[in-house]
Amino acid sequence: MSRSLRHSRLAPYIYLLPAVTVLAVFFVIPTLQVAYFSLTRYTVFTDPEWVGFENYQRLGASGWFWVTLANSLLYLLVTPALIFVSLLAAFTVHARLRGERMLRLLFFLPVITPTIVAAIAWRSLLREEGGLLNAGLEELSLPAIAWLTEKPWTLISPMLVTLWKGFGFYMMILLAGLLSVPNELREAAALDGAGRLAVARHVVLPNLAPLLILVSIVSSISALKVFDEIFVTVRGVPVDHQTAVPMVYERAFVEGNFGMASALGMTLFAIILVFSLLNLWITRSRDA
Amino acid sequence: MTRSRGDIVVRALLYAGAALLVMLSVGPTLWLLFGAFSPATDDLGGIPTRLTLANVTTIWQDDGLRAALVNSVIVTFVRAGLNVLLAALAAYPLARMRFRGRGTLFVLILATMMVPEQVIVVPMFTIVVGMGMYDTLLALVVPGSVSAFGIYLCRQAFLAIPTDMEEAARIDGASTFRIWYSVMLPLAAPTLATLAVFSVIGAWSDLLWPLVVLKSESNFTLPIKINELLGQFSTNIRLAYAASVLALVPIVVFFFAAQRWLKPNMFAGAVKG
Repeated sequence: MSRSLRHSRLAPYIYLLPAVTVLAVFFVIPTLQVAYFSLTRYTVFTDPEWVGFENYQRLGASGWFWVTLANSLLYLLVTPALIFVSLLAAFTVHARLRGERMLRLLFFLPVITPTIVAAIAWRSLLREEGGLLNAGLEELSLPAIAWLTEKPWTLISPMLVTLWKGFGFYMMILLAGLLSVPNELREAAALDGAGRLAVARHVVLPNLAPLLILVSIVSSISALKVFDEIFVTVRGVPVDHQTAVPMVYERAFVEGNFGMASALGMTLFAIILVFSLLNLWITRSRDA
Repeated sequence: MTRSRGDIVVRALLYAGAALLVMLSVGPTLWLLFGAFSPATDDLGGIPTRLTLANVTTIWQDDGLRAALVNSVIVTFVRAGLNVLLAALAAYPLARMRFRGRGTLFVLILATMMVPEQVIVVPMFTIVVGMGMYDTLLALVVPGSVSAFGIYLCRQAFLAIPTDMEEAARIDGASTFRIWYSVMLPLAAPTLATLAVFSVIGAWSDLLWPLVVLKSESNFTLPIKINELLGQFSTNIRLAYAASVLALVPIVVFFFAAQRWLKPNMFAGAVKG
């Protein structure tokens, strides 16, 4: 490579400078700070003051912390539902039905819908009086459900929004897996007398398995990070219906307790990190 | 190949599944549209007796809503533009130049992907306040102007470009920057477009961060404005539906214009990162 210009030794750093500065200031420094804040008494009115693990001890001793954590972990149940629906969607799009292109677009519409809009639409369906879902239950002479006020429905309702908004995205990933199965392989298996189910099980599924694992990790991470759906769909529910991120928001920006919010944030970070490292490990071992 | 009876059954099941999924995808939005375009005299949550633009025209009179629409458009496009530009700049030396600390820097950049924005929202807030960006649109644009994911995506795209073209340009006397601009960028255009589309979708929907850093109504983006409409008990809920429709239309139009950049294998590549 020719290096005619004097400043060429500096050139790589100049290209990297804007992006690296932004990442350093708004990601790296905050990551170090959140760890530090979690070890301080720090509110809107006071500067951080070192208190060691006091925040964590108070978290552990408080009832709401464990309920919040349990709710966040329960929210992970949206992952199997997402996998089931996105897999079904991928199969229907891949089966070359009539209007396949239109199907793909329609399944993707929820993905581009702003979450607050999605949550409002679902809130209207889930209204306890006059909502479509409860009207349907009444038709079947089943009791109405308190979708927006009572547990466990206050978790299930936002999960419906997450499912609705997410399946089109994961469908695209799984579709990539289905499209990567060589047709010759299917045909060869069919010629050897394999039935549809056998082909699905022994040819398609092995190709899809790594992507299914990936999808479950990625959707688990975003389930742990959920905020919009809870904040909007079940607006105003008490503390014991919340998951981790809405509680971080509540502690920090409603109550002004930055130290406590940071300790909760760090706890969530630790849980998410397990999933991220799993993701990294699986991706690496597959590429290697 | 002739179709067996099993084939026909499977296809019938697939059509049934597709119909169900279409209902699921379109249903909630359709109900929102019913709410937004039905007269106040109708029962909420039914099929409208007649369609009316009254709710949409009422909410359109709200200065705050029009300001929010403008703010959302500005923030979304500036953020997406910066995302593509800064990622493409940073990815170039990572893919094509040899320099000290390249490997370490790349790993560090990737590592930031593991830190969820939701976890570090408190220190991000104090930094933004410290820089005097609180309650400005800059607070939305600057921290969101780079994603490690974007840098990764661009680097992959650059690595896939054969070096012959650059060599040819270099022999013709093109500078390094010129090569980036007139060889690398055009050849990586599909990836850059995909990154732009992802950024637009994400920025348009953003709720938590703007909620944290915006205070004045004149700076609100659409999701924050809609959130505020929901919070006022006096608000006719149909107005919130109408505002939601106004938030939905631009992104749907954008999506139909840009959907050819959303190929399944781009998604698979995206999550692998």
